[in-house]
Amino acid sequence: MRVYFFFFLFLAPLLQAQHGSIAGTPFSTPEDVKAGAQSFRSQCAACHGLDASGGSNGPSLTTGRFKHGDSDEALFRTITKGVPGTPMAAFPLDGREVWQLIAFLRSVNIGKSAERAAGDPAKGSQIFAASGCPRCHTAGGGGGFVGPDLSEIGSRRSLEQLRSSVLDPDAEVSPDYWSLRARTKNGQTVTGLRMNEDMDSFQILEPSGRLRSLMKSELASYEIVRTSPMPSFRGKLQPYEVEDLIAYLASLRAQNANAGEALK
Amino acid sequence: MKRLQPIVILAALFCGGLNAQVSFERLERALREPQNWLTYNGNLSGTHYSGLDQIKPANAASLDLKWVWQAQSLEKFEATPLVVDGVMYVTEPPNTVAAIDARTGRPYWIYQHPMPETTYVCCGNVNRGLAILDNTLFLGTLDAYLVALDASTGRKKWQTKIEEYTHGYAVTVAPLAVKDKVVVGPAGGERGIAGFLAAYDARTGKQVWRFNTIPRPGEPGNETWPGDSWKTGGGSVWVTGSYDPELNLIYWGIGNPGPDWNPAVRAGANLYADCVVAIDADTGKLRWYYQFTPNDEWDFDSVQVPVLADLTWKGKPRKVMLWGNRNGFFYVLDRTNGEFLLAKAFVKQTWAAGIDENGKPIKAAGKSPSVGGTDVWPGVQGGTNWYAPSFSPRTRLFYLTAWEDYHTAYFTWDQNYEPGKSFTGGTARSPIPSIRREPFIKWGPEWGYGVVRALNPLTGEKVWEYKMRDVSDAGILTTASDLLFSGNREGYFFCLDARSGKELWKRYLGSQVAASPITYLVDGKQYVTIAAGHSLFTFGLSAGRAGAEAKR
Repeated sequence: MRVYFFFFLFLAPLLQAQHGSIAGTPFSTPEDVKAGAQSFRSQCAACHGLDASGGSNGPSLTTGRFKHGDSDEALFRTITKGVPGTPMAAFPLDGREVWQLIAFLRSVNIGKSAERAAGDPAKGSQIFAASGCPRCHTAGGGGGFVGPDLSEIGSRRSLEQLRSSVLDPDAEVSPDYWSLRARTKNGQTVTGLRMNEDMDSFQILEPSGRLRSLMKSELASYEIVRTSPMPSFRGKLQPYEVEDLIAYLASLRAQNANAGEALK
Repeated sequence: MKRLQPIVILAALFCGGLNAQVSFERLERALREPQNWLTYNGNLSGTHYSGLDQIKPANAASLDLKWVWQAQSLEKFEATPLVVDGVMYVTEPPNTVAAIDARTGRPYWIYQHPMPETTYVCCGNVNRGLAILDNTLFLGTLDAYLVALDASTGRKKWQTKIEEYTHGYAVTVAPLAVKDKVVVGPAGGERGIAGFLAAYDARTGKQVWRFNTIPRPGEPGNETWPGDSWKTGGGSVWVTGSYDPELNLIYWGIGNPGPDWNPAVRAGANLYADCVVAIDADTGKLRWYYQFTPNDEWDFDSVQVPVLADLTWKGKPRKVMLWGNRNGFFYVLDRTNGEFLLAKAFVKQTWAAGIDENGKPIKAAGKSPSVGGTDVWPGVQGGTNWYAPSFSPRTRLFYLTAWEDYHTAYFTWDQNYEPGKSFTGGTARSPIPSIRREPFIKWGPEWGYGVVRALNPLTGEKVWEYKMRDVSDAGILTTASDLLFSGNREGYFFCLDARSGKELWKRYLGSQVAASPITYLVDGKQYVTIAAGHSLFTFGLSAGRAGAEAKR
């Protein structure tokens, strides 16, 4: 351990200077990347997805941008200290393992960093407003709260994921956005965004904005709707308009670290 | 079942946010909807009184635990929840907000404010609650932000920086919504802040006015601070004020002057520390003030809730303010102009020889903090403190939690100010811990004990008292069925007859109560909620009894 510490305290900056940020970790051989990938699967994948492209509880780590800092030092800090106020815990790994994780993350981002949106983000911003997106989505200041907050979506999702969300919203719907459709024993139909469910009850957000709790024993039948309430824009927007919209969404990046997280 | 048409839900969801519209008119008339608890103190008059009467002396003995909500944090749980149309909103330490089904305790959403690694607070990473206006909740944070949240989803609408938290400014108070503004101010009386009360536009978060609780040079009152001593003069704001719509005045209690125990370096009255200030809600201009403890030497923050009552005073109707102060005296003031009407000690006190006819205390000799320590009653946590008192318009009694026969040795020394660091100019030592750290009570009652006291507001005389073994940091709720709910450090939550003080019911909750109870009604059933330890406990009548009640 002591050797490793000595190594990254004194030699890591030199390596970084020589090889740029990709090779900035003191452990960046293909074997290290492989070891990092294994660590990622056991330590990180539960939240960030097996391929680091994001999960319900953690953002994609493949966009080439990191919300809490892009530098190796910042990544090291984020992994070892966690991010207070978010689900990102501190991971008490040894230094070598952390650097291997960073090497793995860099390797996944090499390809992605070359990815560039083809469209025009300025036009995309106009399309975003004209297509009614702000009624459900916040993007920066203003907008609705019913759909996901898109203010930093470019830091969280790849271009491919964004395109899929716009054209085929049902392809991947986070459980945060599943709905409940139910009929009560006295014949009332109830629908709403499912905020929580346990053995005995549902907590939902009704279309009126009202929060409502239902005991399962009060329901004659119910169904969890796993499709998205969002319409597909396939055929509604021209392909070049879709690309503009994607370019705009990809441009929505983390501005500062002091942004609260609403947990479902 | 037929598949839901996404576009149908979508169209419906577009209408979102129209529910739970808590207009200011609703806040003004909160007493007319006793099923809800719409402000920190239940109503803008700060009476902590509810019009509900389903739970009453005849059935209180059958109160039963309905649900428990456990906070994630192990910090002290001081919050008073809000209840709006069946949804409870509560803050958990440090700065987490939870929306909970008030009937079952199940969660709708949780908002976590991102916390800095270091906070600069004297007494724990606490938060006392929220304000609601329209469909927006307002939260003050330990890094000195005012945060607006969408009440339906818990999403952040905006946040405004109030002050620099690394310099000791932190918000622990529940904000107060008045008209279209949200009023809030910083704690930090032990960190050498220069305090203020500020109003922010509820829609945008933009500051509308700011009243300096420590007057800056050129402002009236600055002359009560020698030299630059105002710069570290304290005057913190950490318990929610009240509002009189007819007078359009906001009343707020202001914290201690700094440094706490070295009054020599701030010779003078030290306005507006230890005052109640009456402020025009539209402009933030001071209308009047009354100072309970000029040149305070014992940390007697006047942060108590201003209780507004309309009484017949010496044969004439009068709009008054009732105040059990940390300095051990009960006060009655005319709230239209601040005129002093009455002061009477409600616990043993030795710092004042009396209060003169103008309401100015006559300080007793030899009670100043000293190098070797000076014993003074009441001790540093006061005769009472931040937890809610109550006034019942039915019994016409004022109720408060008091620390009786309790004293502290006060020490003084010179101290240099360093930004963000503790700046108290001395210390205070008592056998009873200021903040409860462990569940044991080993000292004798001769060191002090807690009481719930009912006072006649016309005279300040005690009508009855309920004696406890240990002191208490729990507030008081009274109801239209003449019940009184409170708790204590010992871990009890109890219900008394508000007319006699007779104990009707109590339950041991396993950890301290350092919060104020509330009551509300959902689906025709009344509930009572209290925070204790790290959890929120909700009680209601046992099913059999409630069913029988409903049939009557």
